[in-house]
Amino acid sequence: MAVTEVKAELVGNLWKIVVEVGQHVEEDDTLMILESMKMEIPITTPVTGTVSEIRVKAGEVVQEGQTVAVVAPD
Amino acid sequence: MAEEETTPGLDELAAELDTRRSRAMEMGGEERIAAQHAKQKLTARERVDLLFDPGTFVELGILAHQHSPTGGPTEPDRTPADGVITGEGLIEGRRVYCAAYDFTVMAGSMGMIGEQKVARLRKRALLNRLPMVWLLDSAGARIQEAAGSTFAGSGALFYEQVQMSGVVPQVAAMLGPCAAGTAYIPGLADFVPMVKGTSSMALGGARLVKAATGEETTDHEMGGSQVHCYISGVGDLEVDDDAACIAAVREFLAYLPSNNRDSAPQRENDDPRDRRVDDIAKLVPTNPRAAYDIRKVIKRLVDDGDVLEIKPTYARNIVTALARFAGRSTGIVASQPMFKGGALDIDAADKAARFITLCDAFNIPLVFLQDVPGFIVGTEVEKQGIIRHGAKMLYAVSEATVPKVTVILRKAYGAGYYVMCGRGYEPDTLVAWPSAEISVMGPEGAVDILFPKQIAAADDPAAARAQYMATVRQTIDPYVAASWAMVDDIIDPRDTRRVIIEALQGAATKRPHRVWRKHGVRPV
Repeated sequence: MAVTEVKAELVGNLWKIVVEVGQHVEEDDTLMILESMKMEIPITTPVTGTVSEIRVKAGEVVQEGQTVAVVAPD
Repeated sequence: MAEEETTPGLDELAAELDTRRSRAMEMGGEERIAAQHAKQKLTARERVDLLFDPGTFVELGILAHQHSPTGGPTEPDRTPADGVITGEGLIEGRRVYCAAYDFTVMAGSMGMIGEQKVARLRKRALLNRLPMVWLLDSAGARIQEAAGSTFAGSGALFYEQVQMSGVVPQVAAMLGPCAAGTAYIPGLADFVPMVKGTSSMALGGARLVKAATGEETTDHEMGGSQVHCYISGVGDLEVDDDAACIAAVREFLAYLPSNNRDSAPQRENDDPRDRRVDDIAKLVPTNPRAAYDIRKVIKRLVDDGDVLEIKPTYARNIVTALARFAGRSTGIVASQPMFKGGALDIDAADKAARFITLCDAFNIPLVFLQDVPGFIVGTEVEKQGIIRHGAKMLYAVSEATVPKVTVILRKAYGAGYYVMCGRGYEPDTLVAWPSAEISVMGPEGAVDILFPKQIAAADDPAAARAQYMATVRQTIDPYVAASWAMVDDIIDPRDTRRVIIEALQGAATKRPHRVWRKHGVRPV
């Protein structure tokens, strides 16, 4: 089954990750939060499913378009 | 008795006509068509077929071909239709004119005869008040015909486009190169979709640039969609291929009236007008530091979630989009907290001003969704001319006489509140969510201006600052604005769609008066 790569839409410091691998998430749930220009910017899942991979660590700088997590849709 | 003349019968003449037509339909020949396809590009005729409702295209000037203005030899077989297919057809049942440059014929270069055909089309578009579409894939002016000082007579195409501006919609679809001065065709058009990888536009092509300045570049590197849809803002939408580009043209025109005297199109749908958006609280956090994606909110609010975002990859701190409310085309201008916190900079102001002007010219009502911390300040933006760029947005929103509805979601700070159609800018309805923060500036900035001495003198400046922040924050309350009747209502965010639709319908018969003037002095 095809998995969904969740990508960062902009450059930012990865402030925190709020889900774990194996966790079930609903569409639009926040997976992690970036910090940029004094704003907390959520990275949300476009699909409902299970988080199968987290590819970044808190404190890292993530780039626009970078895959930060993978979700296996239900 | 005179010998009887044998003249060909009509059937015979028609057969010859067929032969001539068939030849023109072959365009630049098999080899060049194959080369066109090899570049992942469709031919001009394939594009025209995709653009119009099946069987509705009527071609004008198919039998034209190149002539030499200097009396030199002509090459009819090499130049079918003189490199540009012109005609009219229906898009969703409405008539539209189209000029499709044929790259298989002398690289789609613009020759004298072809340009006469296109000029006639522009004239008809204006005369009949119908939209005009250019499908551009052209090396530019045909230098063989244009070199020398007879150039003095040229250039009326752009003058004519300016006369058409705001009267009929103009679309310039970029499906290949659009070199040199002809790049002003998209420059003056209302909607400019660009195909990724194959389209480009530049005032001077790479070879000219090399000759003029010595700079080494390529047409694509200099003027591809990665430049114009992300950095320069000349392109309106980057698309993957020709078919997607043509689909975008059809979609755009479906939102626009045929001309400035028509109402914005109404397309019926089953999306209930009073539909509540029950998950809106999940989409918009109340913590003012927390960002969210306004595009998701827009999708929930509009009919059937259908949205055509204009310039989605340029100045992403503001969203400009066409959508429908209760079937009626509507323009949406929305702050985007995901990028730069939704603060406005020069590109965002340009993007919004242009979009507002487009909607107003074509009777498309406007909805403003505010969550704006203001304009970005500092030395960098001042050098960029943030004042005159910001002024464009003030100007556009003030001039717009279409129905205007403003919803304040969270922040409505300073001049950001003004340019996003605050009270002073004649919104027909202005409502706020209970989470709205309307203020000349955010509490953080305000304390440092109001209480700098008190904070500095305090034993614990940080604690003092926090205390003053809390004091200032208490004054920022949407119910204060409501109690002074400065906002029309505070609404349950879940009811936003219903409120917008009612407000738009309430203003549908709006006919504002303006003081006569030739035209204002628009900031540029």
